Amino acid sequence: MNMLFLVWRNSLRKKSRFLLTTLSVTVAFFLFTALSAVNHALNVNVSSNNQYRLMTNHKVSITRSLPVNYQQKIAVLDGVDNVSYASWFGGYFQNESNQLAMMAVEHQHYFKLFDEYLIAAEQLQQWQNTRTGVIIGNSLAEEFGWQVGDKIPLSSSIWMNKEGLFSWEFVVSGIYHTKDSSVDDQRIFFQHAYFDEARAYAGYTVSWLSTVINHTADIDAVAKSIDVLFANANAATRTMTEQVFIKEQAQQFVDMAMVIKVIMAAVFFTLLLIVCNTMLQTNRERLNESAMMKALGFSSAVLILQVYLESLWLLLLGAASGSLIALLLMSQISLQFADFLPGIAIASTHYLEVLAITFSAAAICTVFPAFSIKRLSISKTLGGIT
Amino acid sequence: MEAENCIELVSINKSYSKAKNRLDVLRDFNLTIKQGEFIALMGPSGLGKSTLLHLMGGLDKPTSGQVVINEENIESLSERQLTSWRAENIGFIFQSHHLLPVISAQANVELPLSLTPLNAKQRKQHAKVALELVGMANRATHLPKELSGGQEQRVAIARAIATDPKILLCDEPTGNLDRKTANEILSLLTTLNKDFGKTIVMVTHDLKAADYATRVINLEQYIDENQATEDIVSAGEKL
Repeated sequence: MNMLFLVWRNSLRKKSRFLLTTLSVTVAFFLFTALSAVNHALNVNVSSNNQYRLMTNHKVSITRSLPVNYQQKIAVLDGVDNVSYASWFGGYFQNESNQLAMMAVEHQHYFKLFDEYLIAAEQLQQWQNTRTGVIIGNSLAEEFGWQVGDKIPLSSSIWMNKEGLFSWEFVVSGIYHTKDSSVDDQRIFFQHAYFDEARAYAGYTVSWLSTVINHTADIDAVAKSIDVLFANANAATRTMTEQVFIKEQAQQFVDMAMVIKVIMAAVFFTLLLIVCNTMLQTNRERLNESAMMKALGFSSAVLILQVYLESLWLLLLGAASGSLIALLLMSQISLQFADFLPGIAIASTHYLEVLAITFSAAAICTVFPAFSIKRLSISKTLGGIT
Repeated sequence: MEAENCIELVSINKSYSKAKNRLDVLRDFNLTIKQGEFIALMGPSGLGKSTLLHLMGGLDKPTSGQVVINEENIESLSERQLTSWRAENIGFIFQSHHLLPVISAQANVELPLSLTPLNAKQRKQHAKVALELVGMANRATHLPKELSGGQEQRVAIARAIATDPKILLCDEPTGNLDRKTANEILSLLTTLNKDFGKTIVMVTHDLKAADYATRVINLEQYIDENQATEDIVSAGEKL
């Protein structure tokens, strides 16, 4: 019989309480791990696909358009390898609940810049030669049963065509696959040239331009040179790395990093209250046993260590299960949000944080029981004056 | 040859303070117990029997006076020193057994042995011997809730003697038991006293339990007699 065995047996004394407290800890660490993964995406450079790509949009807002001729002007700047552009279509299929990530893209160069989309050469050729052609992600093709050659009616919640309709007719020219699972395979691309010809207004403008710089160029210098170029134009620009752009999109409504920190603080404060309360209650129920153990010759330090180990065991169990659930779930969520917020991942240092928090929380939860044990009078607890 | 003094309480005063009230439980109390005695400490409630037991066992400290156990003055020991002193020298048996409910009888008996330098195998062996001595070897793997009141008290006695202390302090060990079981426990204590030389101090209200003791101290009477002697001595000193 050793102390760890006693701690183990004591922890399971009230099974329902142990289970409920562990579940609370699990939920807290699940939230902590999940939010850390999101925080990671907001703070860390992620995809190697986009580290040489710049995004240029209107200085005022992404909802404002830029002239399409900016492409040629950017293309001649030092350090620039290639430039393309795109516009958000706001598409949906049949009804608005079937929202689609649909974009009009410059058809000559776009897929050279975005080589994470894998398209068969003949299908790409076919698409470039077909005015109303679309290239769709394989996952989307499977979902709706679309095949190359199918005519598909798609609608836009933003753009009306010259016929006065929001319904547009397209033909599937190709189906793309992705290099890895972090790339969205549910997008639809169609020719910007067709978009410019067919839309009722705002022709020959684009939502944003994408620039690939050569690998020896200074990315910040190139970004600055683009913005300087259009500083006095009607449509001034703001250029940033694709990563920063994505982060800004995510943070345009609210400072997510701050919200995450506040939530994490709240979660851990609640966690501390729950576990502290459990340990206090446990300690109160066992005062007689503690007094008896003291009478037998166990020091207060040993009894306090037992409380600490019991808190630690409870917290470690909850932390491990919470982190594991988050790990499994976030691997799925990171795929779903690959485009909106790439880089959702649990950093290896996070597990060290979890361990540090667990050990510290166990120590905090032991403070009050420790005082109680230290002050415990054996004679008063076990018997009166008789 | 006269037995050596085992427990000596010299000029003990013990008071308890609660709010603004002070309760003097023991006043200038003296008592000597010889090695190998089986003392039954009796008397009405509130007189300080348990307090005396706690003072002898180092569970409490006197307000003033000396507690000498086997020639060691224990009231001057620190809390930490007292803790390890208790583990080596005293076995406690309480009215309520206070066994840990989550571990087996064997593990409960091993508990105080974990404070000794014995290894796991030796601890198991000692606990087994203690349980055999109290007739509980066949229930070693049972949890306390699977035992009767008498059996639980036997396990508590096994736990008290596992480290082989010279002194056993028993606070109404049969208070919660029926007559038959109480007699069994008292016989067991007698065996420990006669055959194993344990000095036993037992607080009890039970006259039949007192029959098993080698000396009965009625605390009320004892205090009166000692107080009277003290008064005569004081008067003599004044003269």
